[in-house]
Amino acid sequence: MHVEWWYWIVLGFVLIGAELVVPSFTIIWFGLGAVMVGAVFALWRGFPLAGQLCLWTVASVSFTILWFKYLKPKSATGAGQAKESIVGETGMMIQGVATPFERGTVKFPVSLLGADEWRCYADTPLQTGDRVRVLDIQGQILKVAKL
Amino acid sequence: MPGIVIFVVLLVLVAATLFAGVKTVPQGQEWLVERLGKYHATLKPGLNFIIPYIDAVAYRVSTKGDVLAVGAQEVITKDNAVIITNAVAFIKVVDPIKAVYEIQNYEIAIQNLVMTSLRAIIGQMDLNNALSEREQIKAKLQDGIAKEVATWGIYVQSVEIQDIKPSPSMQQAMEQQASADRFKQATILEAEGKREAMIREAEGKLEAAKREAEAQIRLAEASAKAIGDISAAIRDRDLPAVFLLGDRYINTLQKIAQSPNAKMVVLPADLPAAIRGILGKP
Repeated sequence: MHVEWWYWIVLGFVLIGAELVVPSFTIIWFGLGAVMVGAVFALWRGFPLAGQLCLWTVASVSFTILWFKYLKPKSATGAGQAKESIVGETGMMIQGVATPFERGTVKFPVSLLGADEWRCYADTPLQTGDRVRVLDIQGQILKVAKL
Repeated sequence: MPGIVIFVVLLVLVAATLFAGVKTVPQGQEWLVERLGKYHATLKPGLNFIIPYIDAVAYRVSTKGDVLAVGAQEVITKDNAVIITNAVAFIKVVDPIKAVYEIQNYEIAIQNLVMTSLRAIIGQMDLNNALSEREQIKAKLQDGIAKEVATWGIYVQSVEIQDIKPSPSMQQAMEQQASADRFKQATILEAEGKREAMIREAEGKLEAAKREAEAQIRLAEASAKAIGDISAAIRDRDLPAVFLLGDRYINTLQKIAQSPNAKMVVLPADLPAAIRGILGKP
């Protein structure tokens, strides 16, 4: 089976086009890999088939890994998610807790999920006025830890 | 030829596997992945990978806030009045794992929980309190359902009572009561008016009687004084008096005799003695 250099270019464009049909943001890297192999093959006509396949695999996997490891954008917002909009927020204790079995009250500078005062508990004793960070939300109660 | 067929089929299989392994979760959702029937991972928004053949997206949970309508229901208050009430609950899934695995259908569960809690809370209140203490009902409702919803990984942002109204028969009874109250007030006012009038009238009569009695006393006193004066005047000279009295007596007898209904006039035989008797003289 004879492979021309432009086969790779066409395959690349088809794969990049397939990304529009099946949005996954992975096929595009295989497409870009194929275009790269086509470009190298066009410059070096004696490029063996095994080398072409090898380069395609390595390039595509490298692009994908690079994308997910370094270039993938962080989530812009936690809005609409289960815990992201409240976990990590900092507030101030307005009623301390002496034991993990007690419920205290924490106040936030802004309203979180429709309330600025929440019942909370913590593993360590907390004094009134301590600054705390939200670790978890369990229904109407927050788990907090001292900053 | 077989090689090409195998290659094409393999290529299709690889492509299908790749597509099946890539999951793009939209913002506002979290997907739960089960590996061979057991919970394995939660997929957050954005691009995610699962291992096809052994992993499967079992549940797609919306983590956006949601509004649950709690249907109208009849509730009996502490004083046995029937009222119709309904509510809306604003909820949000904060733990998709619990929301999916701890309860069969959290929406139905919360609707029923709100319904029964509302019934219990209003059942401890009087009709008038139930109709006027919405905020108190709301606060008690949120406290009452907090434990259960925490178990199901749900946060109840608020429960709003939409309507609290008496049942049609209760409403009719309330209107009747209000009208009866007005009627009672009117009757009482009328009765009080009559009473006041009678009291005033009686007071008038009393005053009149007092004055009348005083007048009688004055008259009696005047008569006594007149008699006293006459007695003093005729002490030892009773003849003119006897004459005067006899004269008047005879005049009176004449008048009696002339009256149309007088058939008989009896004169005392001894007129001077009779007059003397009148005057108390022996």
